[in-house]
Amino acid sequence: MITQTQTYKKKSSLDFSLKAGLFKTIKVLFLTLFSLLMIYPLYWLITSAFKTNEEIFASPYSFPTSVAWENFTRAWEVANLGQAMINSSIVSVSATALTVFLGALTAYVLSRFTFKLKGFLVVLFLLGMLIPVHSTLVPLFTLMNSVGLLDSYWALILPYTAFELPIAIFLTVAYMSAVPKELEEAAVIDGSGYWGIFFKIMLPLSVPALSTVAILAFLRYWNEFVFALVFINDSALKTLPLSLAVFSDGFSTDYALTMAAMTIAVIPTIIMYVLFQEQIMKGMVAGAVKG
Amino acid sequence: MQSGLKLRGLLVMTLLPALLLYSFFVIVPIFWSSYYGFFSWSGLGEATYIGFQNYIEVIQDPVFWRAFKNNLIIVAASVLGQVPIALGLALILRKSSLFQRFVRSAVFLPMVISTVVVGLIWGYIFDQEFGIVNNLLTAVGLEEWTRAWLADPSVNMYAVSVPIIWNYIGPYLIIFIAAIQNMPAEIEEAALLDGATGWRKLFYIILPNMWGTIKVVIILCISGSLKAFDQVFVMTGGGPAQSTEILATYMYNNTFMVYRYGFGSAISTLIIILSLILIGISQILMRKKD
Repeated sequence: MITQTQTYKKKSSLDFSLKAGLFKTIKVLFLTLFSLLMIYPLYWLITSAFKTNEEIFASPYSFPTSVAWENFTRAWEVANLGQAMINSSIVSVSATALTVFLGALTAYVLSRFTFKLKGFLVVLFLLGMLIPVHSTLVPLFTLMNSVGLLDSYWALILPYTAFELPIAIFLTVAYMSAVPKELEEAAVIDGSGYWGIFFKIMLPLSVPALSTVAILAFLRYWNEFVFALVFINDSALKTLPLSLAVFSDGFSTDYALTMAAMTIAVIPTIIMYVLFQEQIMKGMVAGAVKG
Repeated sequence: MQSGLKLRGLLVMTLLPALLLYSFFVIVPIFWSSYYGFFSWSGLGEATYIGFQNYIEVIQDPVFWRAFKNNLIIVAASVLGQVPIALGLALILRKSSLFQRFVRSAVFLPMVISTVVVGLIWGYIFDQEFGIVNNLLTAVGLEEWTRAWLADPSVNMYAVSVPIIWNYIGPYLIIFIAAIQNMPAEIEEAALLDGATGWRKLFYIILPNMWGTIKVVIILCISGSLKAFDQVFVMTGGGPAQSTEILATYMYNNTFMVYRYGFGSAISTLIIILSLILIGISQILMRKKD
């Protein structure tokens, strides 16, 4: 009798661990497959960029048998990617710097001072996050046309910064509010004015928040498409996404060329993602939740 | 120490640049477009006042309402696609082992890819002759299912929604994982004492406790998918024959392709109104279910 129950118990626990093991295997298998599904389009893009057009057609999903570097040089020349890279860099870096500075300054005032219109300002900045960007395209186009801003780097730098300000401000306010009052008081005793406090205490202490703001802003500006599409006409001023969009009709049959051009545009953002993954994830989530 | 006047001067000086920039580019356009909606203007020469004519023309245009319906398809696809996938993954991705962190990174990856590149790649994936989708279908013997996914009006709105779903699962996954990790340990212990395990635990303990987060994610998902434009614009441009037109492409095609800035302003105003109504409705509905 006793031995019987014992074997029964043994069998059931064996059953259980078998079931758990099976469940775990299925889970790992499923997660692996799903991750591959998420990564595959990008993997396919980058591997195709190294193939010749003939190879893309003959074996579209295989690993490249040889490396066709000429795709990249050809894409660089045909789509004028060098100029686009320079334009994108100028616009993204300037707009990021402006965003970080204005965001930090505004966040400093909103987090450390109380004044009458503060509540109103916070609501105003929150409102901006609800507005669909594309619904401002027509009015912005006519507004900028009337002040002669179109077709210049400013036509992108200024609106980019304006639309990113709410997120920049709210991410930084959360951080600056946590700075203890005593630090400010100590700085006042040392003879610092408000600007001194801002530059010597608030800015250095907010570096983690500000670097998140900078990374998010840079990624967004680097990838931004609609504003560039509408506000930039001069081909010498085209940013990367705009130059790539040409491929959606003009060169779309020259796959190798298109893939190489896209790879060139995507590599910088992937490098940033690998380097600053945690910050990007947390920052994007915080930005989304606020909006 | 420092006088009140000086403080006020400082506040004005520090706030003014950001406030001016923000107002000019974000707030003013909203009012500017509702005003310009009353004019007929080709971008050159004088704008003529035409009353509500633009607004009436938009509202009477069946393509506008088709675009709105297509927008709702994208919203529905995002809510029904992104939320369950993100939630399901979050439930099995609770540990921070290397493998699970890799899965999380993979799911989040599309967030940093240029939307133009996303549109172009998926355009290839759906390509009739050389696209992966048709090749896979042929390989498993479902050749009769193959088609021109982006051109066939009976399926192309759904096809266009797939890259949008793929693009934005990441943030919702992170939100759900954070919510699960923040769940008080007592709840799990109580569940264990009550003998709730497996599916029972999931449906009676975990999901009810996450309902607040799920609601927030659904609202985020709705307002987020209303902003979709780039991927659709690159993949189809709203075509063929305006079958994949969404509000934003409708606005773009009716303004910048034909130089009707007054008309485009009227569309922009209606887009803002419709978006705010949808976001408002979703928030009211979500609140009621409590």
